Amino acid sequence: MSAPHREAIQKQIQQDWANREYIEVITVSIKKITDFLNSFDMSCRSKLAVLNEKLTTLERKIDYLEACVTKGETLT
Amino acid sequence: MSATDRVSLTDALSNVDVLDELPLPDEQPCIEAQPCSVVYQANFDTNFEDRNGFVTGIAKYIEEATVHASLNELLDEGQEHAVMLYTWRCCSRAIPQPKSNEQPNRVEIYEKTVEVLAPEVNKLLNFMYFQRKAIERFSQEVKRLCHAEKRKDFVSEAYLLTLGKFINMFAVLDELKNMKSSVKNDYSTYRRAAQFLKVMSDSQTLQESQNLSMFLATQNKIRDTVKENLEKINGYEELLADVVNICVHMFETKMYLTPGEKHMLVKVMGFGLFLMDSELCNINKLDQKKKLRLDRIDRIFKNLEVVPLFGDMQIAPFNYIKRSKHFDTSKWALSNSNTPSPQADLMVHLPQIRDDHVKYISELARYSNEVTTTYKESGSDTENRETAELALRGLQLLSEWTSVVTELYSWKLLHPTDHHQNKECPPEAEEYERATRYNYTDEEKFALIEVIAMIKGLQVLMARMETVFTDAIRRNIYAELQDFVQLNLREPLRKAIKNKKDLIRSIVMSVRETCADWQRGVEPLQDPALKGKKDPDNGFGIKVPRRNVGPSSTQLYMVRTMLESLIADKSGGKRTLRKDIDGQYLMLIDQFHKTSFYWGYLLNFSESLKNCCDLSQLWYREFYLEMTMGRRINKCTVRHHHNEECNDLVTMEKRIQFPIDMSMPWILTDHILKTKEPSMMEYVLYPLDLYNDSALYALTIFRKQFLYDEVEAEVNLCFDQFVYKLSEQIFAYYKQLAASIFLDKRFRVECAALGAYLLPYPRANRYETLLKQRHVQLLGRSIDLNKLITQRINADMQKSLDLAISKFEAGDITGVIELQGLLEVNRLCHKLLSKWLALDDFDSMFREANHNVLAPYGRITLHVFWELNYDFLPSYVYNAATNRFTKYKGQIAFTPPVHRDKPPQMSHHYLWGTKPLNMAYTTQYTQYSGFVGPHHFHAMCKLLGYQGIAVVMEELLKIVKSLVQGNLLQFTKTLMVAMPKVCKLPRYDYGSPGVLSYYHAQLNDIVQYPDARTELFHNFREFGNTILFCLLMEQALSQEEVCDLLQAAPFQNILPRPFCKEGEKPETKQKRLESKYAALQIVPNIEKLGTAKQAMISREGDLLTRERLCCGLSVFEVVLNRLRSFLDDPVWVGPPPTNGVMNVDECTEFHRLWSALQFVYCIPVGDTEYTVEELFGEGLHWAGCTMIVLLGQQRRFEALDFCYHILRVQRVDMKDEIVKGISLKRMVDRIRRFQVLNSQIFAILNKFLKSGENDEMSVEHVRCFPPPLHPSLTPQQHYHAPEHLRQAMMI
Repeated sequence: MSAPHREAIQKQIQQDWANREYIEVITVSIKKITDFLNSFDMSCRSKLAVLNEKLTTLERKIDYLEACVTKGETLT
Repeated sequence: MSATDRVSLTDALSNVDVLDELPLPDEQPCIEAQPCSVVYQANFDTNFEDRNGFVTGIAKYIEEATVHASLNELLDEGQEHAVMLYTWRCCSRAIPQPKSNEQPNRVEIYEKTVEVLAPEVNKLLNFMYFQRKAIERFSQEVKRLCHAEKRKDFVSEAYLLTLGKFINMFAVLDELKNMKSSVKNDYSTYRRAAQFLKVMSDSQTLQESQNLSMFLATQNKIRDTVKENLEKINGYEELLADVVNICVHMFETKMYLTPGEKHMLVKVMGFGLFLMDSELCNINKLDQKKKLRLDRIDRIFKNLEVVPLFGDMQIAPFNYIKRSKHFDTSKWALSNSNTPSPQADLMVHLPQIRDDHVKYISELARYSNEVTTTYKESGSDTENRETAELALRGLQLLSEWTSVVTELYSWKLLHPTDHHQNKECPPEAEEYERATRYNYTDEEKFALIEVIAMIKGLQVLMARMETVFTDAIRRNIYAELQDFVQLNLREPLRKAIKNKKDLIRSIVMSVRETCADWQRGVEPLQDPALKGKKDPDNGFGIKVPRRNVGPSSTQLYMVRTMLESLIADKSGGKRTLRKDIDGQYLMLIDQFHKTSFYWGYLLNFSESLKNCCDLSQLWYREFYLEMTMGRRINKCTVRHHHNEECNDLVTMEKRIQFPIDMSMPWILTDHILKTKEPSMMEYVLYPLDLYNDSALYALTIFRKQFLYDEVEAEVNLCFDQFVYKLSEQIFAYYKQLAASIFLDKRFRVECAALGAYLLPYPRANRYETLLKQRHVQLLGRSIDLNKLITQRINADMQKSLDLAISKFEAGDITGVIELQGLLEVNRLCHKLLSKWLALDDFDSMFREANHNVLAPYGRITLHVFWELNYDFLPSYVYNAATNRFTKYKGQIAFTPPVHRDKPPQMSHHYLWGTKPLNMAYTTQYTQYSGFVGPHHFHAMCKLLGYQGIAVVMEELLKIVKSLVQGNLLQFTKTLMVAMPKVCKLPRYDYGSPGVLSYYHAQLNDIVQYPDARTELFHNFREFGNTILFCLLMEQALSQEEVCDLLQAAPFQNILPRPFCKEGEKPETKQKRLESKYAALQIVPNIEKLGTAKQAMISREGDLLTRERLCCGLSVFEVVLNRLRSFLDDPVWVGPPPTNGVMNVDECTEFHRLWSALQFVYCIPVGDTEYTVEELFGEGLHWAGCTMIVLLGQQRRFEALDFCYHILRVQRVDMKDEIVKGISLKRMVDRIRRFQVLNSQIFAILNKFLKSGENDEMSVEHVRCFPPPLHPSLTPQQHYHAPEHLRQAMMI
């Protein structure tokens, strides 16, 4: 195998490593975005659940108060 | 950002890095498996597609890579066929069969049958062709490798392993084909229909169909064909021996990662040996020649008696050996023995697993803290290596635990229990039930849960650190690879060049050129090693670069295989290459070869992690379904208490899916719920996660909608059950806790002293962690567990209150104390639960249960009134000595018996929590059930409140009004007629017997009046009881109010007078105290901090509290005044006295009648008769005295009463005689007692009536009468009443 040819191949291999490293960087970043999305999801769900709970409590209180003040009008 | 804006890579990357800094708090403890809404898995496995890029590699291995690529494709195809067979569900049973040849629509039926089944049959045809092709291909490969010349050459580890995978595939496909009878049935249904329709007309199709049915019908067809084909190849057994040996080697040195790979190795050993053993070859002889090591395989087979074959199909690899031709028992001592395999006992593994878990978790935690607290671009080589090793160790641990679980499960499936081994297992239990439901002891279930929890828990932790791990892994692998290739290989290269070992040189050069990443892009040309020369003394520096990337899959394969050829025992030539390499470099290469085995797994970290934790097969049961599908099950489906008749008269059902009780995920979940084991409670979501695994498997590997649907259906059912059971036990737990806190401490101590069984406080359980769960991931849904439990517990709480009131409604008035207790316990339970759950307001709930939201008064008030009216007033008897009412228990019934609702049936947790607690409280409250006393009045006060009390009293007054103006008035009118017109106070001279007989004669009509002692007294008792009720209610209310005031005092700046030593000024002390508690005082604080409106409200509230008792408002006084207004009939007072002053002897006023009645009830009764005290109690006297006081006749009554007169006379003469059957002495005793009672009653009444007139009315209004004149002067009249005089003057 001639020397310049070998050199070209070695450079190609090095180029391959560099390319794959680049791909890896992108992959890792996508992975990080995914992780972020997942934790964002969890965090939001947790917060929304708390909010939902508060709204439910308020709704139930309103229901109760409504029942208190209507004096049975709605029951007829 | 507009689309034309360009973002540089660095900006983009830093944007991603910034994401890390956003705080994303998730406030729930993590007790579930890895939750992921988005999964990202990059796969860089090219399946050797890029092999041609590595032109500098050894051509042979590039070719081999081509072979590998196509073999891998075949293996993948084989996997698809295996899935097809495994997930095959019988179609023919669902297809209608023509009943006779005359059936008109049979052509249509057959046409549809063909139409429906054709695509399925096509799959079977493909399968047949595939297995033919695969066997051919496999035989070809074996043949090629068994060529005499080739035999001497080295066959790479990867190659042998691929052959092993083929052997495994054949074993799996063959077993699946044997097992699936539904495949055969479906095909014959198709064939029948097709033949009828003459679809298969040409001879080729007919032949094909014939082949297919033969193929399907012949058991072990694939296995036998493989064996047949192999036996034609010369020396195949040696190659297979190599395959088996490499499997043994890999198994023993743990060169595998996933459990599936581990089990594959064992299967290959078994099936490989079976294939080898034939007419031509005897494995025992190979063993003697040391070509095989049967003793080692024997040990492996013993340790792993059963391995999963596919899904829930299991296989005992030793069975292959037993079926082989030259099976020799003596060679298989361990496998043949009856000692249980370690696989069957999870408990022996558990301590080690726990230990490993704790150690690993702590190491991981330390490392994780380090990573999160320190910022580093990238670690040093050593750090990266350590991290990569940590990651690998984690994966291996996970895989090991998963293996333990699946192996136990497999063993259990193949060793079902029966009713002899397990008493709980009924004799008629199904096969699958015996393999799962009844096949695990409690400890085993707990151990399984624990191990599953460890697997899932560690998986979460490792997945969280994935980016950190993979970064370190890539850097480490790169560094190790490049260091090895660029530095370590220099020396062997130099030597090979120097010694002209061209083969070695070319291999090493190939390795270098395949993967070296030189600093300058090309290898340093001036490197002396390339010329076979030694380095200069100061060394030849090669700087090896560092990158964050690993080798590609093909690259790694090339490097490893080429290096393997350097150290292999065979080389194709006469001498091996090993001999030409220095020992120390051989060691290095060997070490590198070993370490790099795991690189593939590490580079695919995320997939490896998933595979190591995959427990999906715990749910799949296609094999058992296939076995039970056709069979009918003896099971009664009617919902009733099953009895022996059910065995004969049952509705038969066909099993299409097993119930959840037989399903492993649910068995484990339910086990935690059933045992309520606190240490396991936090694990309860992990077994449920098995459904996630199974569903994912159905979606991604099996790709079968119906399997996913079935998983989903089961999850729906299980999760409902789960939430139902969980919330019920949480409610029961907190109820029990509240009731235990509420239970009297001394009662508890005394119970313990007496040895009575009373549970201590409930074991603390970790429900809080579960209650904090707001997003549980299940089949891609996110479930707010807290919300679901809140809903149910809200309902439970409501029901609990409702039942408490219903229970009260079902009993008499004495139940009021228990009701109060129950409400208090519920309130406490509500308080405890509210810490975790957003329950409704307790007071709102209570009002709802009490039906008090819309109506002004609730069920409790109504029932109290109802009981007062129908039970308490008419049949209770008051006694001042005990201050209690007791129920009259005699035979004389004044009122009809009371009918109440039946007490509601309820489970223990709606009452006091548990059976022992229910008993304890019932025992306590029965103490209060025999009487009505101050406790009851206090309870009523609290429960009714001001409003309720007002309502009850108002209604009672109405009753009394009708009583006074009705019955009592009627009786009075009647009796007044019977009264003597005049009844004097006889002189003392007559002596007490004389006085008694006088009154007896005078009052004879009254004494003889039949209804006096019954109806009349009863009416008076009702009246009196009402008065007493009001009085006692007021007393209780006052005490409650005083308590309120005392409790409110500190907030109102009312402090107790401080103790002062001599010389201390009380004022300063007081001041100091006031400033100390200034923060408590509501009004000043609100004024300071709140709005004007709030300040006003607080001032008014304060005023209301302060003045509540100040002006001495009295309910009882009002009641008395109201009662007075009822006594408006003239009969009560009679006509005005003729003498203008007062009546003395005339019997016109009410008090005279009462004197007569008093005479009646003072007459002592015989031993067999009831006294008035027993019959009516003191309510009677209260009624009489109240009326007398209200009518203003108290003094006259006291002065002129008949009985009092007898008493006075008797006191003087102290006589005792029987007068007209009456014992004088006894009568006088009774009179005395009642006199005392009457004066007490008068005193109390006067206290209340005079309370308002102490100040301004203190001057007594004295009416002046002129001194009496001698009768001779005014013969017509004793006295001159001024009014009469005035009247006379006006006339």
